Amino acid sequence: AAASLCAMVSSPAAPAPNDVTLLTVLSACADSPSSPLASPLALTLHARALKLFPSHLLLSTCLARFYLASRLPHLALQLFDSMPVRSVVTYNTMISGLMRNGLVDAAFEVFDGMPGPDKVSWTALIDGFVKNGRHDEAIDCFRAMLLDGVETDYITLVAVVSACAEVGALGLGMWVHRLVLRQRLERNVRVANSLIDMYARCGQVNLAAQVFRSIRKRTVVSWNSMIVGFAANGRCTDAIELFEEMRRQGFKPDAVTLTGVLTACSHAGLTEHGLRYYDLMTTEYGVAARMEHYGCVVDLLGRAGRLDEAMHVVETMPMRPNEVVLGALLAGCRTHGNLDMAEQMMQHLFELDPQGDANYVLLSNIYAAVGKWDGAGKVRSLMKARGVKKRPGHSTVEIDGDVHEFVSGDQSHPLAGEIGQMLGLLWHEMTRYGCDVHGGSSFDGD
Amino acid sequence: CLATPPLTPTPTQIDDQPPADAAAERRRRKRRLRVEPPLSRGPAPQRAPGAPRPASNPNAPKIPEPASVLSGKRLDLHRRILTLIRENDLDEAALLTRHSIYSNCRPTVFTCNAVLAALLRQARYADLLSLHRFVTQASVAPTVATYNLLLQAYCDCRRPDVALEHFRLLLKDDSPVLPSPTTYRILARSLAENGKLDQALELKDGMLERGLIAPDTQVYAFIMGGFVNAGDGDKAVSLFEEIKEKLGGESILDGVVYGNLMKGYFLKGMEKEAMDCYAEVLGEGSKVRFGAVSYNMVLDALGRNGRLDDALNLFDRMCMEHDPPRTITVNLGSFNVMVDAYCRAERFQDAIEVFGKMAEKKCAPDALSYNNLIDWLGKNKLVGEAEGLYKEMEERGVNPDEYTYVLLIESCFKVDRVEDAVAYFNKMFDAGLRPNANAFNKVIDGLVKVDRLSEAQGFFDMMPEKEVKPNIASYELLLKAYIDAARLDDAIKVAKCILLDESVVFSDETKALLEEALDKEGRNGQMTKLYEDVEMEKAEAAARAAEEKARAEALAKEEEERKKAEAKAKEEAAARASRA
Amino acid sequence: PPHQQAPPPPDPVAGPGELMGLCREGRVKDAVELLSKGARTDLDTFYELAATCSNPKLLEELRKVHDFFLRSPFRGDLRVNNMLLAMYAKCAAMPHARRTFDNMPDRDMDSWHIMIDGYSVNGLGDEALRLFELMKECMAPTSQTYLLVLNACANSEAIEEALLYFDAMSRDHGIEPGVEHYVGIIEVLGKSGHLNEALEFIEKLPFEPNAMVWESLLNLARMNGDIDLEDRAEELLVSLDPSKANPKKLPTPPPKRRLGINMLDGRNKLVEYRLPPKIEKKVVNEQRYVPDTRYVLHDIDQEAKEQALLYHSERLAIAYGLISTPARTPLRIIKNLRICGDCHNAIKIMSRIVGRELIVRDNKRFHHFKDGKCSCGDYW
Repeated sequence: AAASLCAMVSSPAAPAPNDVTLLTVLSACADSPSSPLASPLALTLHARALKLFPSHLLLSTCLARFYLASRLPHLALQLFDSMPVRSVVTYNTMISGLMRNGLVDAAFEVFDGMPGPDKVSWTALIDGFVKNGRHDEAIDCFRAMLLDGVETDYITLVAVVSACAEVGALGLGMWVHRLVLRQRLERNVRVANSLIDMYARCGQVNLAAQVFRSIRKRTVVSWNSMIVGFAANGRCTDAIELFEEMRRQGFKPDAVTLTGVLTACSHAGLTEHGLRYYDLMTTEYGVAARMEHYGCVVDLLGRAGRLDEAMHVVETMPMRPNEVVLGALLAGCRTHGNLDMAEQMMQHLFELDPQGDANYVLLSNIYAAVGKWDGAGKVRSLMKARGVKKRPGHSTVEIDGDVHEFVSGDQSHPLAGEIGQMLGLLWHEMTRYGCDVHGGSSFDGD
Repeated sequence: CLATPPLTPTPTQIDDQPPADAAAERRRRKRRLRVEPPLSRGPAPQRAPGAPRPASNPNAPKIPEPASVLSGKRLDLHRRILTLIRENDLDEAALLTRHSIYSNCRPTVFTCNAVLAALLRQARYADLLSLHRFVTQASVAPTVATYNLLLQAYCDCRRPDVALEHFRLLLKDDSPVLPSPTTYRILARSLAENGKLDQALELKDGMLERGLIAPDTQVYAFIMGGFVNAGDGDKAVSLFEEIKEKLGGESILDGVVYGNLMKGYFLKGMEKEAMDCYAEVLGEGSKVRFGAVSYNMVLDALGRNGRLDDALNLFDRMCMEHDPPRTITVNLGSFNVMVDAYCRAERFQDAIEVFGKMAEKKCAPDALSYNNLIDWLGKNKLVGEAEGLYKEMEERGVNPDEYTYVLLIESCFKVDRVEDAVAYFNKMFDAGLRPNANAFNKVIDGLVKVDRLSEAQGFFDMMPEKEVKPNIASYELLLKAYIDAARLDDAIKVAKCILLDESVVFSDETKALLEEALDKEGRNGQMTKLYEDVEMEKAEAAARAAEEKARAEALAKEEEERKKAEAKAKEEAAARASRA
Repeated sequence: PPHQQAPPPPDPVAGPGELMGLCREGRVKDAVELLSKGARTDLDTFYELAATCSNPKLLEELRKVHDFFLRSPFRGDLRVNNMLLAMYAKCAAMPHARRTFDNMPDRDMDSWHIMIDGYSVNGLGDEALRLFELMKECMAPTSQTYLLVLNACANSEAIEEALLYFDAMSRDHGIEPGVEHYVGIIEVLGKSGHLNEALEFIEKLPFEPNAMVWESLLNLARMNGDIDLEDRAEELLVSLDPSKANPKKLPTPPPKRRLGINMLDGRNKLVEYRLPPKIEKKVVNEQRYVPDTRYVLHDIDQEAKEQALLYHSERLAIAYGLISTPARTPLRIIKNLRICGDCHNAIKIMSRIVGRELIVRDNKRFHHFKDGKCSCGDYW
């Protein structure tokens, strides 16, 4: 379509395009920004449009949409700044477009300057925060949106629920679930899928399964979320059973499904079983093995102590193994105390991912586990030499809907004293665990 | 902040004082109060303004929380736990207390005390100590009630020494808790009952010296009772003189000391003084207050010293005054004392009768009361009556204990009802009781005495199966019986067992007895052979132990295999699930 | 009001009526807002405003009201000042109450009483007693004062003081103690853990104990968890006042420990014939926690390593979760890295000790810790 349009517009014989024509063409360009013709065409049209219809609202908006879709956000921002009139649609286009381009702060600035944001603007903002990994802000925005009395739609809820899943805010997630029920959106399969994922990622597999069972028309994503959820929560048999049920119901498993199934097998130590699924993956389900599948298989073999076979998989896989695959093998070496292979592996890993602190930690643990303390020391000095810092661990816990974050050794919390006391008590009780439970003193009554 | 300047100068500093200071202040005040005449002092001394606040020490003992903390959520928890205690679900009560430490609603020390008291009431001492250790570790600051419960638990377990160690913590200078009269009473009673009279006197002297509590008549009564039991009437009487003096020479209005005072006089042969005391404190116009406990003490003094008629009179009076719920002058102990008094005068039917009247005063006899009466009856060959009581126990739901059965066994042997004695012994196991070696010895001894050696040997052989280790008396009973019956081969067998059993020591006396018997038969070489055999068997046993160890290792290996097989089975189950 | 008045012309500044209305609806925050916008007030309104701030959450409002009051012409009013004292006490802000009290132009008996009671309700019994000493220099205490003082003693375990004050009552001030004062002493004893002593005190009362006495003992027995004494007090209470009978009362389980006086010294030979009780091992094959310091990747000595393990972020999060939530509710922790072996082991044991389900999501997978076990079966 773009091609014929191009011909039409550039033809001098054609009548001067009116605004409707221009709009149609630009719209087409914005919808297919990857087309080789789109870019030059749109740029020409931009010039022409400015000449013919300066500050035409719809045209400018459409142009902005095109720039954003074509990863030219700066041009879009320039255009936006020069626009004398802007509609809600203009703003919304800018917010979602900038978010897609990863310019979160710019998007927020646009949102901030907006006179009366509607639910689309809020949703674009929230969704943008989620997609850019800024989940806390997404949740904050959602709260602000509710306070502003703006109605939500299913896209908003899907975005918020996935933010909850990410930060583990079960309380808020359940609250949103109630909202979903109140708005009668529970039939919406995208909402339901996000709820399954949220519950599973908050460790509430039973609730996830409840939502899953209540869906009337499931999609592959629903099945995948549930299978992966079972697998991650250690309910491996359930995951495998569900996979078989999925196939009986005629759904075609995809790469994600199989990742879930293989993870379940490796977590449950079902080596043979996992290997069978791995074989069936290409032969029967027609899914090409991806990096994560290799990771699962190596993990599966590594745990079972079949380190040579695991090594063989790594050596023969069609792509270059990434640090996850090698890390899985390394973990196998740790479990089974195979120091030689671990050292060999580390050579690969240092090349592949010199800053991956987790692998240094693993190797050091292997040395320590086999009693080679000098080896562990060597790793430490190696890390120092290469400037690798152990990534600080942090953990969060949700209390009454608020998420609290802690980093290791942190003593800055206002309740640090109480926390320290509690840890001291736990420490004390743990070290005498098992001594006291049966009360084996000589003072039993008669 | 407040906008207007103060209208009057501030008379006191208003920053709130940390609680540690407040308590220290209070204790100082307490100590001062004991020396200074009351209320002649002005307001409490102030810290000079600007003077540095004493640095608070994190390891300083914590002050117990005041009673006002028992409100809101913490009061709800307290109530919930009290309900569990009433339902006698003490495991859950203790567990909930523990779990609440790890929460935003910590149990108050009152709640912890309630659970400790309930555990004490059910004689669950190990659980009590475990919970006490836990709440202390969780820095729930104990009150004097907590200490009293702990001390009582140790005293119930006949460990007054350990109780004293804990008590000493209360006397330390920085202790935020001070002992109460009850604390001293618990210790005094336990020390006296366990015959640790020197320590009891030390405790009493400490009470007088430190002045943390006023000289306490009950503490004296317990210690006097201890000396009476030790037969030292002089000391008992002099203790009475001492407490009288300590209390300013006035007559003592608490009845608890008088029973022991009378017993002291009786012990010294001063019958007149004893009865004068009786007439005075229980006579008309006496202001001395008596309750069931103090009456029982006097009643016991009369009953033990041949004053049955006076005892009967007193008992009648007690029954007349008894007016529950307000006035309680008769309790289970009164009946036990009366039973003793009657039996001592050999009026067994009266004893049985008074025992039967207990229910009229809403007293329920326990196994201890039954045992007491059964003991008297059995000793006096009134086995039929004793058995009647035993049947009554079962009817009334009082569970006979091991001692009940031992008494019945002894009674039956006494009147040559050997079969019945053996039957009672066997009943113990049916009742789920766990007699120890002493109980076994009773039946073995009885059987040996009527020359039923093989049966005696049978019970002896039963001991390992019942997880009872024979003691030296068990062996010697059999050994002597075999010697007396001239069954020297069997005697040698028993002797061998003694030598092989590391936990008993072959007494020289018995050894000599066996040697003499062997000599008499001209088998004097056998003793040496016996020792050699024992050495050999010990060596064999060592070898067997080594073998055993090897087998255990093999078993462990097998276990590992089994686990592997389980894992495999799991995999197969999953495979089945996927096929289905 | 029954008769309708013509609505006053709209007033840009709110008046006392409006403020009173807001107070009655409990909207004290709004009322304070209006005050700061210059609303007009009168004495009654200040009284009402102060009286509405009756819980610690409203301390800020109370202070603002107080501020406006001090700037008003009524600032010396005794009734409002007393109300402010009472409310500061309810807001657990005794230093504020004391500052107000110290700055009051006049004080009456109520002012002193409110302060003494405020201190003892807020667990500062010693402070209350100190104030009482000051009070005696200004005015003669009444029977009511002594009740408050005894209550203060009860909250600071001041038994000796209580008895001394009790004696001083009639001797120094000619106040004959009433039943409530005797009950006051009983409460001092009982709340200080001297329950037996409280019972003895009752036995020695110069009058026949009435229902009030037994009810007090009943409550003290409940507080200390002494169910036998509770039953006895209840029996006595109900005998005097049958309306106090509790139909829902649970029966008392029979005690296993022998109570009362054992008059049979040396006859209790049970232990001689019974095997020691069997100790059931409830936990088998379970290791107690030994910190595994191999998981600490720093060059530090052993003790510091243990400290480092102790402060791993997941443990901090769990500890904070514990002290912030009710007992036995599950906790969910999310960690960005893989959980270390030592923490895994520790959290397993913790889950059993604290009686909660601990759900930890690390960057690899989930761990559901419950009753000393983990869903991953230690295979992660």
